[in-house]
Amino acid sequence: MDGRDEGSSEMEAPIAVDLSRGSAAADLTGKVHQLPCCIKHDGPTPVSQYFKPKPTEMEVDGLKVEEAHFRGRKLHGTTVALPRGYSGFILGKKCHDQGNNGMNSQGWVTAATFEDITVWNHDAIPSKDDAFLRAFHWFTAANALHQTVTAEDLESACIDWELV
Amino acid sequence: MGSEPPPPLPEWASEPCIMGIDEAGRGPVLGPMVYGCLYCALSYQKTLSTLSFADSKTLKEEKREELFENLKADESIGWAVDVIDPRELSDKMLRKNKINLNEISHESAMGLIRKALNLGVLLTEVYLDTVGDTEKYRVKLSERFPNIKFVVAKKADSLYPVVSGASIVAKVTRDRALRDWLPDETADLSRNFGSGYPGDPQTKAWLEDHKHSVFGFPSLVRFSWGTCTSYSKDFVDVLWESDAADGDESGKSSKRQKKLTSAGFTTVKKRSEDIESSGKGRCKFFQARKLELLSQF
Repeated sequence: MDGRDEGSSEMEAPIAVDLSRGSAAADLTGKVHQLPCCIKHDGPTPVSQYFKPKPTEMEVDGLKVEEAHFRGRKLHGTTVALPRGYSGFILGKKCHDQGNNGMNSQGWVTAATFEDITVWNHDAIPSKDDAFLRAFHWFTAANALHQTVTAEDLESACIDWELV
Repeated sequence: MGSEPPPPLPEWASEPCIMGIDEAGRGPVLGPMVYGCLYCALSYQKTLSTLSFADSKTLKEEKREELFENLKADESIGWAVDVIDPRELSDKMLRKNKINLNEISHESAMGLIRKALNLGVLLTEVYLDTVGDTEKYRVKLSERFPNIKFVVAKKADSLYPVVSGASIVAKVTRDRALRDWLPDETADLSRNFGSGYPGDPQTKAWLEDHKHSVFGFPSLVRFSWGTCTSYSKDFVDVLWESDAADGDESGKSSKRQKKLTSAGFTTVKKRSEDIESSGKGRCKFFQARKLELLSQF
């Protein structure tokens, strides 16, 4: 996602994101690749014909290292499963109702889903300290933040003045 | 590295031996570069000169093939090759810390020497064609292998039979590698790439037919070659994180920008937001993980 500002800014109506997996939604698990570059192109391209990741013998921080080539550069990557309870969504714009003033249903629908992602580096072996992999910490943080608080949690959070 | 599985070390290899090293496929824009070596006992040198290798470049392909088979069959001669995949060439030459073609060549030659020594061959003299500065190369080799006398010379393949022999080994190996090349890609690729030299019309036509706006070329092509630059208008721009990373140091970046533009890559002038999400206004946790909140998209 690149955070482009779409449409007119006077539109205040919330934009709907439909995450239901219709029959048309493909499962792209094993086929989603995060490359260490920005390709100035939007659109279909024969990835599976040209991009050929292979496993290597290397393993770092429990991550199995794969290698691939793109535009002559050698990439090292690793495939990470999304945590339980989470999925990846590839969204597409709802085609119809592109009204002139954008008032009618602007929205996103699920074009495909994926349950893992392969993250690629150039000139660096993947490690758990890579920014992209560290982003997964957010799941743990979010869970902790949004879990309901139990009475025990409250109790154990109180400071015991006697021990201080 | 590849060579035929070595039979038990022949007796002559424990006598003082000479080796010649030469390469094939340095100039072409596609296919592997091959380093080949040929070695034999010093005492066999005279016989070697009668085997009429001449300059491998002047021989026809069939004649070279024939000579190679004869060499292989000769029990008084040992040989080995290092087939350097074009993907390896592209990779090494396009890294942040680039390894240039001369370094790659030097390492390959030294690898062949090391391999022979590990087999137990008593190498005392090695003859090679010059790669880069002649004297610097000779010194580098002597420092790595102090017990060997090195002769580095221009046109060594026409001066020393061991080198012409090595040249044949390298050339035939490269020709076969190209002929038998199994592409990674499952895209439709034809095989009439010609000699692989950038000036060869057949090669030029093959490049023209097999260019792709996103992927550039099949991996048979050496992306680090200047030839590929002329196709940059046919490719979509690709901005690399590892190039943008040290673009903030002014002196370094302008040099890098020059290098990159000449190689057909667009440079750091493009916004880094194109590549990474903005951590503006967020706490360190999100910035470090390049997590950006998108409230509108």
